[in-house]
Amino acid sequence: MHWLQHLSRHCLLLLACLSALTLAIPQEERVSNFFGRHTGTSGHTNNWAVLVCASRYWFNYRHMANALGMYRTVKRLGIPDSNIILMLADDTACNARNQFPGSVYAKAGRHLDLYGDNIEVDYRGYEVTVENFIRLLTGRVDPSVPRSKRLLTDDRSNIFVYMTGHGGNEFLKFQDNEEISAFDIADAFEQMWQKKRYNEILFMIDTCQANTMYSQFYSPNILATGSSEIGENSYSHENDNDIGVSVIDSYTHFVLEFMEGINKTSQVSMQDLFSSYDPVKIRSHPGVRSDLFQRPLESALITDFFGGVSQAEIFPVIEDADTTTQHIIRVSSPDHVVPPDPVSPQAHNGQDFDKANATAVMPQKDAVALDVRWRDIRKWTSIVIVGFLVGWVSLVR
Amino acid sequence: MDALHGFKDVQSLSFQRPIIRRLILGSYWVVILFAIPFWWRLTSIERIALPSNRVHAQLEKQPVFPVNVQLDGSSFHGRASLLASELNELLAKSTRTSTRWNNLDIHVTLDQNAARSVYTVAVGNGTVVRHPRHLILSQDDASSATKIADVLTGLLAPEASSRVQRVVQYSKRYRLAFTLLNEDVTSDQLIHNWDIHHISPVLSRLSVLHDFLIESQVQFHAPLAFEPVQIVSENSTLYGLTPEDLTVFVNSAEWTLSSSVSEDPVLHFLLFVPSSSRRPLHILDTQGSPTQHAVFLLPQWGGIYILNHLEHVGTRTHLTAVDLSLVFSAFVNQLSALLGVSDLPHGVKSDDPSILSDWQVDAVLRYRALENIVETQQTLHSIVKLVDQIKNMPVDETVRGDVQNALTALEKAYQSTAGLPSTILHWSREALSSASHAFFNPGMLALLYFPAEHKYAVYTPLFASIAVPLVVALGRELHAWRREHRTTAGKLVYHIQS
Repeated sequence: MHWLQHLSRHCLLLLACLSALTLAIPQEERVSNFFGRHTGTSGHTNNWAVLVCASRYWFNYRHMANALGMYRTVKRLGIPDSNIILMLADDTACNARNQFPGSVYAKAGRHLDLYGDNIEVDYRGYEVTVENFIRLLTGRVDPSVPRSKRLLTDDRSNIFVYMTGHGGNEFLKFQDNEEISAFDIADAFEQMWQKKRYNEILFMIDTCQANTMYSQFYSPNILATGSSEIGENSYSHENDNDIGVSVIDSYTHFVLEFMEGINKTSQVSMQDLFSSYDPVKIRSHPGVRSDLFQRPLESALITDFFGGVSQAEIFPVIEDADTTTQHIIRVSSPDHVVPPDPVSPQAHNGQDFDKANATAVMPQKDAVALDVRWRDIRKWTSIVIVGFLVGWVSLVR
Repeated sequence: MDALHGFKDVQSLSFQRPIIRRLILGSYWVVILFAIPFWWRLTSIERIALPSNRVHAQLEKQPVFPVNVQLDGSSFHGRASLLASELNELLAKSTRTSTRWNNLDIHVTLDQNAARSVYTVAVGNGTVVRHPRHLILSQDDASSATKIADVLTGLLAPEASSRVQRVVQYSKRYRLAFTLLNEDVTSDQLIHNWDIHHISPVLSRLSVLHDFLIESQVQFHAPLAFEPVQIVSENSTLYGLTPEDLTVFVNSAEWTLSSSVSEDPVLHFLLFVPSSSRRPLHILDTQGSPTQHAVFLLPQWGGIYILNHLEHVGTRTHLTAVDLSLVFSAFVNQLSALLGVSDLPHGVKSDDPSILSDWQVDAVLRYRALENIVETQQTLHSIVKLVDQIKNMPVDETVRGDVQNALTALEKAYQSTAGLPSTILHWSREALSSASHAFFNPGMLALLYFPAEHKYAVYTPLFASIAVPLVVALGRELHAWRREHRTTAGKLVYHIQS
């Protein structure tokens, strides 16, 4: 079974490489006369980010810090506030127990205030519900909902979806009173795909048993990554003694640390990020699912999802309109300096990354069918047992 | 004796008579049985059937746009009829091979009284397009059918450029946000006002396609998020933007570029005035040598013009229409590029270059109509598919109404293909907005998924505690009734025997 899966994965990869190659050649020729080399890109023109912190209460300070850390990073890398939907289930910055009112810190030293003075929280407190999240993704919002609370994406948009909170096998708790399941998110993404609401999605989740949350996806062009395997907890990274609670989760901490080495024009790929995962430091086994994603991870740039615009065209002024035609430039140049990675991706990746890949294998069809049948058997057995008990009690005096 | 012990005979209590007890028990069961249909009705999801057959039938259909081109017989000196038949053949071939325009059905005729949206071709001096829908060919261009066919294809069916990516998605309304950015007014000079009236001729030409809302602002502090490269040569210093810098030029974190009052898509046009310490600011090529360009475009977003040359320098400057003529002609170019207007084919001039020709506008109209029709078909298909696929997605009357409206509008679009391109666009737009309205209906939110285990976990504690006594009581009552029945039957037998 395993070698079959590997074979099909390799075939897919090969196919993707080949098609990328054939597509790249004419474009390369076209551009090279003016601006030189250009690598395969994702074909998007705008970036969006949906950042969700699903849990409330003071002791979940770290979840808000997770989401705000991501917010700071995507904003720093060039996604405008109008394209970031930030959902915070609670307002720790203004919590009465916060020693540092109006501030949220993600590190023990409290060097960087994530809340700052330029922040736009789009969904706050009790607005953060499963229903609102699904409505946001699918676009089925009430006509009265303002622009800042809508995901106005199209087929040229790359979307980064980040979720954090308390979760379990195939669910994530919202607000301590409801939960979203992996099926709901998978269906929402499918609806987005059908209405051409995205070009590519990067789904990242930091919660216990996070990798189960992307197991049900079935729509194309989704790259998913999570913090921990099924049956495994995700832990917090560190406490701050003055704040009195944990300030950030381990997985998010290391992702953000990696991101600190990235700038708006970096050429670092998603593969580099995934290779930097270190299960020993993170204390859980992060997973990656790339079978739905059409491009090789080596050519998918971090800035394809975390950055702003990916391309610009020189446009002639009227005077020189006759002399030159317009040219495309892409964010890529062979001599560009790649900043050193803080986490040194080469250090650990070997077997750890293999492990991450292994968790990413899609559930096979017959396995799903078996699962369904097993569910049916359990259902009927429980009904028979209840029936038997009722009959027994009624007949025995 | 009973009275002595303080007990009554249970059988003697009026409410303990078997008939009363059975009636009470029966009434419970009757209520439950009657409640079942209500429960069924209330918990089932309303899913009205959609006209899926009509939707599938629509998918097969392709609109055909007939286009009539009329050759001016007199100017072609007798070879017009031969040319017409040759042109028909050549144009049919070129549209057939085009992926974008294979729905175009071009007819070249000599007929004087054809339909009113006819395009005319005549011979004159120089290849020029004239208002409305005239094409004058130069002697050279009119010499062979292939050359004429090339020009006509370029005008009627312009090939999608490789930069199709930059064209924004169709919308009825756009907001155009013009922003004048002073990088740093504290350095020496301030541009505090500008006249933005130049754009109206083009907007009025494009008003058949879109409605435009215009907003403008001046900002006095617009820092860049990066340091431009400094290039020092013998006699001058200039600053450069590398190709990477262009993509991150817009400092979205610090520049507030448009209000977010409506949901219409926004196209941005920025006039950036570098601070005097950073002037002139030029765009560099990949080798790092400066080019003469100072204008660039971000696909689907808008255009940027870097203003390096200020004619009259003062501390407070008002940019007049004259100062801005170059800037706005660039903005107009960018706007039409973003909206998908094709350039005139190589070698063809317009008698009034300041406005778009009818040929160009018609081509965009046809292309947008086609795009809307395809988009509508796909949206309708997705709705039907998703409703099939996701079983707990509710479908109500309004969704069906919207789907039917979209189908009707599509039919009307097909019927009007022979008429004015703007009519087709109108119906295709109606169809698309109805289809999108149906897709985004807030009521169509699929109910949340719950695994079967969750249902048992929630319902068992609720219903088991009620169900057990009811079922047990029913069982006992039946049991008692049967025994009673048997004993009376036994007595009867005994009587007969005796």
